[in-house]
Amino acid sequence: MSISNEELEEFKTESLELLEVAEKSLLSLDQGAEFKTAFDAIFRGFHNLKGASGMMDMQELQSHTHQLENILMPFKDKSSMPKSYISFFLRGIDAARSILNNEKINFDFSIPEEGLSQAEQTITSDSTVKEVATKGETLEAANESKQDLIPDDKKPHESQSVLDEYTAECDEILDRVSLQLRNFEAEKYTKENVDDVYRDIHSLKGASYLFDFTLVGDIAHAMESAMECIRHGTHKPSLTMIRALYKAVECIEIEVHAIKEKTSHVQTKIIAPIIIEELLSASRHLEIVNLIDTAKQQSESAVQSDVQQKENESAGSIRVPVVLLDNLMTLMGEMVLVRNQVMQFSSQSEDLEFLNLSKRLNSVTSDIQGQMMKTRMQPIGNILGKFHRVVRDLSHDLKKNINLTLNGSETELDKSLLEAIKDPLTHIIRNSCDHGIETPEVRKLSGKGEAGTINVKSYHEGGQVVIEINDDGKGLHRDVLIKKAIEKGLLNQTEATSLSDKDAFNLIFAPGFSTAAAITNVSGRGVGMDVVRTNIEKIGGNVELQSVAGKGTTTKIKIPLTLAIVPALIVRCGQDAFAIPQAKLEELVRIDSSSVESKIEYLHGSPVYRLRGNILPLVDLNKILGRENKKDSDVGVTNIAILNAENCSFGLIVDEVQDTADIVVKPLNRLLKSLQVYSGATILGDGSIALILDVMGISKIAGIGSEKNQTLTMDAMANGRSLAELQEYLIVRLNSPTKHAIVLGYVNRLEEFKKSNFEMSGLQKVIRYGKSILPIISVSQLLGYGQENQPSDKETVPVVVIQKAGMFYGLEVDAIVDTLSTEAEVSPTLVAQTGIFGNLNTPEELIVLIDPFELIQKAFPTSAVDPISKTGIAQSDPVNMNPNIPARQAIHEVKILLVEDTLFFRRAIRSELEKVGHQVAVVNDGKEALELLEKNPAQFDLVISDIEMPRMNGYDLAKSLRQNNKLSHLPLLALSSRADQKSTHQGIQSGFDMYLEKLQPPILLNAVSRLTDGQRRVS
Amino acid sequence: MSPNETGAARSENQLLTTFYVGDDFFGIEVMKVQEVTGAPKVIPVPLAPGFVSGLINLRGQLATAVGLRELFGISNAHESEKMTVVCRMDGNLVSLVVDEIGDVVEVDGRGFELPPDTMPVVVKRFVKGIYKLNGTLLSVLDLDKVSQELSPQLDVNNSHNQIK
Repeated sequence: MSISNEELEEFKTESLELLEVAEKSLLSLDQGAEFKTAFDAIFRGFHNLKGASGMMDMQELQSHTHQLENILMPFKDKSSMPKSYISFFLRGIDAARSILNNEKINFDFSIPEEGLSQAEQTITSDSTVKEVATKGETLEAANESKQDLIPDDKKPHESQSVLDEYTAECDEILDRVSLQLRNFEAEKYTKENVDDVYRDIHSLKGASYLFDFTLVGDIAHAMESAMECIRHGTHKPSLTMIRALYKAVECIEIEVHAIKEKTSHVQTKIIAPIIIEELLSASRHLEIVNLIDTAKQQSESAVQSDVQQKENESAGSIRVPVVLLDNLMTLMGEMVLVRNQVMQFSSQSEDLEFLNLSKRLNSVTSDIQGQMMKTRMQPIGNILGKFHRVVRDLSHDLKKNINLTLNGSETELDKSLLEAIKDPLTHIIRNSCDHGIETPEVRKLSGKGEAGTINVKSYHEGGQVVIEINDDGKGLHRDVLIKKAIEKGLLNQTEATSLSDKDAFNLIFAPGFSTAAAITNVSGRGVGMDVVRTNIEKIGGNVELQSVAGKGTTTKIKIPLTLAIVPALIVRCGQDAFAIPQAKLEELVRIDSSSVESKIEYLHGSPVYRLRGNILPLVDLNKILGRENKKDSDVGVTNIAILNAENCSFGLIVDEVQDTADIVVKPLNRLLKSLQVYSGATILGDGSIALILDVMGISKIAGIGSEKNQTLTMDAMANGRSLAELQEYLIVRLNSPTKHAIVLGYVNRLEEFKKSNFEMSGLQKVIRYGKSILPIISVSQLLGYGQENQPSDKETVPVVVIQKAGMFYGLEVDAIVDTLSTEAEVSPTLVAQTGIFGNLNTPEELIVLIDPFELIQKAFPTSAVDPISKTGIAQSDPVNMNPNIPARQAIHEVKILLVEDTLFFRRAIRSELEKVGHQVAVVNDGKEALELLEKNPAQFDLVISDIEMPRMNGYDLAKSLRQNNKLSHLPLLALSSRADQKSTHQGIQSGFDMYLEKLQPPILLNAVSRLTDGQRRVS
Repeated sequence: MSPNETGAARSENQLLTTFYVGDDFFGIEVMKVQEVTGAPKVIPVPLAPGFVSGLINLRGQLATAVGLRELFGISNAHESEKMTVVCRMDGNLVSLVVDEIGDVVEVDGRGFELPPDTMPVVVKRFVKGIYKLNGTLLSVLDLDKVSQELSPQLDVNNSHNQIK
């Protein structure tokens, strides 16, 4: 039989119509339409379709409709149809449509039964339903031969997008219901409230049955029935009822989540019937009231419900895929570009009509742009609302009384950001509940109201969204935090005293601080605050914490409005424009070269700038980009953008600062990203392209904020201010405009030698010095400053004599200027250079601090390596003590107590040790060390001590430790600048295991691993 | 486009967009080419490898311009008005900067051959094979290889990029 295309088309159209009629009737049936009429319409639809498809020789469709008809038949004499059947038939209709469209289908003719009949039976006493249910069973028996009853009601071929929509809608409904339940709990129920919930649950039920998620449907149905009498205004919801409703919501949430993840949740299957039972029993024991009595409350809450009405306003909205919005944004960008070009063109035109049109185009485009930006925005209330549940559940679990108030829920935020802050916010709020708010008893005792309050406030500020989470709980105790931080080795005693309140509270964000359970119990806050910070910072935000002990804690989160559009500073370097994200920009400095007091200084070749007394390393963007700096640096002005990369700031020298702009970030391909200099690119208003600078990457390339520098900077920040420790330096002049200094403690003697007395030993300049020969090293040459620059008529040369490893060395300098006693901080070198320890930032000028030992090492790489340790171990195995074998990687982490009174050494030694991963705690003198060790005998693996110290010197410390039973096992290492035979001997006598000369990192590190290795073997 | 596009032996006819780099004649499957544009403004990217000429604003979209002369190591003898062939690779737009655009050529799958061993390695890397045409040979560019060149293994420590 041949069928023309025309006929086929006609058949299709007709079939679709038939199906549509059947579908409509089914849906009307679902909404309680008269059964008989609806049934007839459905039956007719299937029957006719069967006939027609038979005529058209479409066997698949024919058998499909035949089956449907068969299943439908038994209902002919009934007065209702169970939901599961309705959704089954709806699916059947969908399948028929697919067949018509020549799609392959895999239709499952089984009808979910169990959950349904059980639920229906328990929930209502409606006899008809029961009847149908039993009928369903017989029906099932009738079709048994053909059908496999699958217990799991998930429909495998439901398309993903439809499912997504379903789950999204479920989430929304559950949110709204939770919110209203909270109102019920607070006895705020009005007719509207109750109706809203009822309606929501009803649609949830409908949707769930439609998609064949009977479990959800059943629970929703039970909720609906339970709420029946409340809705009629005759009963008041009881607490048990609300609790049961909450549980039901929770159960559905889990199930919906499982649906999303395409897994099945066993637990929900078990608890669902229990919840249903609870709901029903609760509904039976309802207090009878007349809702009219609550009219007063109604008017009270009217205002609130108005607000909520607005929040819930979803009637006029549609769902749009985010991709579509993104595409629109891109097109929008193009349109703006075209607009700009038209505007430019029109400015040269004198055609009035054209001018008018272009003006209109301009304003319309701006409007569209503004509106487009809004499409991605969502009120923050969307996620804040969920916290009512969190707080409610937690306060219940913790037996606390906590109120949550929300302010500024209407503040809008980009959707992706909203998702990103959800978890951190939940974490903070949970913390507030758990550790912040006290139990009612405690609160009473401390004179607060029994109920604690958590207030979440969000608002716009300076182009950012600020979210403040405030609780009136017990707050954070600075001392407890600090104590824990010291125990964890995050701080040392001296650092702790100088810590600002802000820094102290922010300790809880430190990684590792939170993991110990003890901290959670004692100090309050705990687990995972570092994760909170990381997550917030990932989206370009920041988080800080303020707290008043006893009064409460405020956590403040600042996040950008959107990720897609970033405010940035446009700078120019050569011909090209670059964008710097404003978030990374601290300030702009413009240096006029004619001004005397503010200028760029050069420290061994690298530029620095003194910004309000702090040395700021400068990075030239031209150099970073590998270009010649054609600009003559002597004339004109220099623009410096001061940028913030993690913990350190640096100045970026750019040719020109142009403007700020909101830029749309476009990703770069991986090749360009891997250069580390750019984080993206953007198209500017005039259509040109600007690369977005990756501030972190640039700082990395410039070597700013490397590990050593950071420890030192942080040490310096923590130590420097409070200690007010004077360090003495010898100031010398070299062949360099900058002054140089040597720590006075290193200097053995100052000598003035006649030039004529210098002799040559091989290639080495030496001078006879007493009985020995003193090698002379030129500091200027070693540091690369060139020859000494002394007046030739001078006959003598100033020499600084330094003792290293029992040998004397002469450092030749241009002139010895002075000694300087200062508390100025030592900041690390900007560029690591042998022989330079760092910069001394005095109020007057910059002084470069020389590391004489390193210089000697550089000049005599072989002779200076002799270990000074006089112990048997060290000398018996010279290979291991060879510093050329780097002991850089710590094989195991050692907890070291460093006893050292000099600020300078403290930093240097500590940074050396920490560099390889050891943990170092620092104390000032022997006495402090002894106290600390007695308190925590087991905390340290090794003690490294100076000899010369106030209060208790190293010898006495060693003796005391050896006499103490608990501490006698501790390995002791002496580290002194006085390393002659006599003092070494005295050190070993006092009980030190080893005696080393200061500042020879490789030897020190070797010794550390030897001493602790030995200890491990013993224990 | 033939479903068997990567296979060496193709029997079906294919349409190729052709262009010249230096004196050599190249082709790309028509379906892989988004568009051909005249000399656009290329914004150079400092520090980028030589074959990356820079970035192009293609009506609001960013395209990475890859100079095929540089990629193939052909000396930059004459600086003429360049044309670009825009393709989408791995979700990114890539503009191949070429010297001259040729016609769209229909080739017979039977004329396909693997590139000869004598072809310079720098070029051969990016060539899938050649077609023998009347009077000339047409090398088919392997866009996947070009794409690989633009996606080196990323450093792990590059994940700090804040702006995505």
